[in-house]
Amino acid sequence: MNEVLSVSEAREVLQETLALAVPALMIEGEVSGYSLNRGKFVFFDLKDDDSLLSCFMMAFAQKFPLEDGMRVRVVAEPTVTARGKLSLTVRAVQPVGEGSLKKAFELLKASLSKEGLFAPERKRSLPEMPEIIGVVSSSGAAGWADFSKIVQQRWAGLHLQLADVSVQGISAAEEVIAAIEWFNQQAEPVEVLVIIRGGGSAEDLAVFNHEGVVRAVSASRIPTIVGVGHEVDESLAELAADVRASTPSNAAQLVVPEKQSVLAQLEKEASALSNAMKRLLADAEDETEVMKQEFKRMVENQLLIKDQAIKAHKRLIAQFNPEAVLRRGYGIISSGGHIITRAKAVTIGEKIEIALKDGRIGATVDEKH
Amino acid sequence: MKNTSFADKMKELESLLQWFESDEVELELAVKKYEQALSLCKELEEHLKTAKNQIEVINKKFGQA
Repeated sequence: MNEVLSVSEAREVLQETLALAVPALMIEGEVSGYSLNRGKFVFFDLKDDDSLLSCFMMAFAQKFPLEDGMRVRVVAEPTVTARGKLSLTVRAVQPVGEGSLKKAFELLKASLSKEGLFAPERKRSLPEMPEIIGVVSSSGAAGWADFSKIVQQRWAGLHLQLADVSVQGISAAEEVIAAIEWFNQQAEPVEVLVIIRGGGSAEDLAVFNHEGVVRAVSASRIPTIVGVGHEVDESLAELAADVRASTPSNAAQLVVPEKQSVLAQLEKEASALSNAMKRLLADAEDETEVMKQEFKRMVENQLLIKDQAIKAHKRLIAQFNPEAVLRRGYGIISSGGHIITRAKAVTIGEKIEIALKDGRIGATVDEKH
Repeated sequence: MKNTSFADKMKELESLLQWFESDEVELELAVKKYEQALSLCKELEEHLKTAKNQIEVINKKFGQA
């Protein structure tokens, strides 16, 4: 301790000693005085009722939004700054306690919403009768068992592919993201991706509010349906999905139709078809009948016309009947059996016969003019 | 259901039924289409009643853990 040091050297000695003695600390406290400098440097104080420590971190190391008043847990290294200040260089930070979790959730929700990840226009409709369905869930979980049972009861000829992942805990986010990406990378992708888990505590369900997971759901080219068994708040992954299911069982109802109702519809259609055919045949029969009637009428018409023509002839003939002439008061003159129509044809003194309607008169020609 | 999917066959049936509702229906063609539709119906019903489900657990560990 006999050496005389410069200020800088002294600071260095203190820094190194501190680094050796306390390489890292895990500290829980309240955030205060948060600020972001030039988009890259984050400064805030970590405090409790009696003390305060200054913190510094790089913006990219901050994995979720921070706000004054939030309780957080940090992993940090102590440093002595050039100005002789004790500062903590934060390597990792996470929210702690329900209040903080909720706060982080709200902030993330707002920023992703602003980016448009939850926009209704982005939502695609699910295929109506999928044949290959991808599922991201835990094989041991009740959620998967419920979904699988119900979906098989409802529909037939399905191929379910399960990506078995943890749906809670430290590695969950990473696993879920990897599974979603794996399904999206397949040469023959599934028709719909179902991401489900059963109920649990807020911390159990945290993976569905993890930014990476939400982004993976949002970026999926395969239509997604997310179902988390939790009645109260919607998780961010549910908001980003194309369809939200209230539970894994509900997801099963939304992803496939019910075969009984489709069978009933098919029966109805077969029956409608039969009726349509019967009607067609009946119509065809009717048409033939109509044609037959038409033909009959035409023939009858012709016969009627002919009949009338014959009658007209008869009438004419009747008019020219000599009897008719006599009846009208005329007489028919004949001589020697021949009918006389001209005065020239008789001679004076010739005997003639006159037929009248009621008899004959014999006469002699007296005069001619 | 190898070559066309169930959904495709449903659509085909749907369009056949619509044809029957249209004005262009004529008897000879109707008989053909009727047979087609009826056989589709039967196929679809068969599938729903008997087709098996397959569950595959993907043989891969996801994530780096």
